[in-house]
Amino acid sequence: MKVLPLDKLREALNIMANDAEVYVPMLRDDISGYFQWADNPADELALDLLNTYLSPKNVVIPQTEPMYKFKTSKQDVEITEVQVREGARIIFGIKACDLKALENLDMAFLTMGFEDEYYKARRQDLTIIAQACYKPGPACFCEGMGADRINPAADVLIHELENQDYAWEAKTSRGEELTAKIAALMEERDVTLPQAEPQSRKVDMTGVSEKLAEMFEHPVWDDLSSRCMNCGICTYVCPSCYCFDIQVSNRGEAGNRFRCWDSCMYREYTMMAGGHNPRDYKKERYRNRFLHKLQFFNERYGANLCTGCGRCVILCPNGVNIIEVIEKVKEVKLDA
Amino acid sequence: MHDHNHECSCKDHGQTNPLVPTMVKVQKIVDETSDVKTFYVVGENGIPFKVMPGQLAMVSHVAIGEGMFSVSWQDDDHLQFAIKRVGLLTDALHEIEVGQTLGVRGPYGNGFPVEECKGKDMLFIGGGIGLAPLRSFIKYCFKHREDYGKIQIIYGARSYDDLCFKRELFEEWPQVPNCEVYTTIDNAEDQWAGNVGFCPAYLEEINPSPQGRIAVTCGPPIMIKFVLQALEKMGYTDEQVITTLEMRMKCGIGKCGRCNIGSEYICLDGPVFNLAQLKKLPPEW
Ligand code: SF4
Ligand code: SF4
Ligand code: FES
Repeated sequence: MKVLPLDKLREALNIMANDAEVYVPMLRDDISGYFQWADNPADELALDLLNTYLSPKNVVIPQTEPMYKFKTSKQDVEITEVQVREGARIIFGIKACDLKALENLDMAFLTMGFEDEYYKARRQDLTIIAQACYKPGPACFCEGMGADRINPAADVLIHELENQDYAWEAKTSRGEELTAKIAALMEERDVTLPQAEPQSRKVDMTGVSEKLAEMFEHPVWDDLSSRCMNCGICTYVCPSCYCFDIQVSNRGEAGNRFRCWDSCMYREYTMMAGGHNPRDYKKERYRNRFLHKLQFFNERYGANLCTGCGRCVILCPNGVNIIEVIEKVKEVKLDA
Repeated sequence: MHDHNHECSCKDHGQTNPLVPTMVKVQKIVDETSDVKTFYVVGENGIPFKVMPGQLAMVSHVAIGEGMFSVSWQDDDHLQFAIKRVGLLTDALHEIEVGQTLGVRGPYGNGFPVEECKGKDMLFIGGGIGLAPLRSFIKYCFKHREDYGKIQIIYGARSYDDLCFKRELFEEWPQVPNCEVYTTIDNAEDQWAGNVGFCPAYLEEINPSPQGRIAVTCGPPIMIKFVLQALEKMGYTDEQVITTLEMRMKCGIGKCGRCNIGSEYICLDGPVFNLAQLKKLPPEW
């Protein structure tokens, strides 16, 4: 099998970065996430981290994205569309959970009537280098959400070997092309792939979506939501939360309209001009978030909108845990 | 419920990016009431896009913000939006003058089932600014008069001043063959000789039979609630009753997430639903 030695990794990333934006799990200013590789000495690779604090969704949906610029003078307005830079992009080292979330984003942005142009421009020439996940973390439950963590569908699959070198498998022609560019850095070796450690968190989603459809008005939501303070952290770190806001930034006679990540946990999210709000209380917002993840997205696109990455489980300041939510839902007895 | 196999309609837009508006000029502004104005807008090459009755469009006062409005009518060369002053954006819109450049994008949403209603008698029940979306359907029926049976319009507002589209309401529409217009205001006023009282009660008094008739209602939530109850009492089935839902919207294309009720997006699958469809949605409307 081809092997990329660890000490050749920076060089490999530099070669890839010659003609693509390469996003790599790194620590930057104490925050881990998928940031663009520029061989900056301060950039610390974080390929072992399970999971980066920020998900790789910023590669396809940046936190803020200018849409068009405008200039006004008296009654006149001129607008200029901001074009997303087309061209090759690479995500390096993405894990199965985040990759599955990317499939969710594809469904949301590219199907059902309209294609989102900004998303499409970033997505169309994206090469995926996924890393097989042999040692899941304590909050991971991607298997329960249907991910194949050892063999996710990607252009290239890499496996971290015991000595930290990477066994390298090109899986698609796109992956072959990329591999050819760095072939000189690789060695051909007999390798033993690591043993997969079991995932300790088991989740069984059988029937959950259908059951939730009967539970919209169930009192369990009062109890479950009581701990949440609607901070929105769970939605920001989630690789499959994609809701956005559209806002304007304005200086004198010029400005731009941009979109940015939003959170269904915020009251303003559904607040209408004139003040009426269909999800005025935190219970309603909390319920909508979990139903969107576990029921509504299923009904519309045929998949869960949670991929078991565990970020929200680890990062919620108040201990809200989607695994427990799923368990509680299963415990509820519905009257026949 | 709706099937979710929407054909991609981006191509019909004449704009490649469905989130970027087309620039239009305000051609005419009509004061409907003290807080409702109708804006006639026209694009560089005439009408910016075609809409079906009940569909929505995003209107932007570019430097300030954008909001989703139902298109209250289209003519060959322009679109009309009747807009009530309720917040920051609509305040700003009410300040503009003829000649102002605005942005519009759309059309969004499903619109009224104009085809399915053909051959039926039509009953429209509107309250306040709720007549704006109904007006697109009412005028469509007038334009295709032979396709629809008897047309009855019941319209109520708080006061005489709050009645929108007065000229059409009192002069034009009553002249249309086989069309009856009933207006009502909440409290008696000196110059008002018409009915006094709320829409739902007036509806029950007029009592149009459900036989071969479709009822379409738009208005404030509280009015809709009682109108739906009244229609049910009068024997209308859930399939015979049509209304529109309102949610906060940003994208209009089912992506930004906020306008959902259950797994339906009001901007895409709505805003028009019949009561049978509504009853399958979670009670968040
Ligand atoms: S991170 Fe926790 S407290 Fe914050 S909004 Fe999410 S569930 Fe609520
Ligand atoms: S809901 Fe939580 S566990 Fe599921 S994908 Fe989002 S952040 Fe990960
Ligand atoms: S307005 Fe964005 S999803 Fe409906």
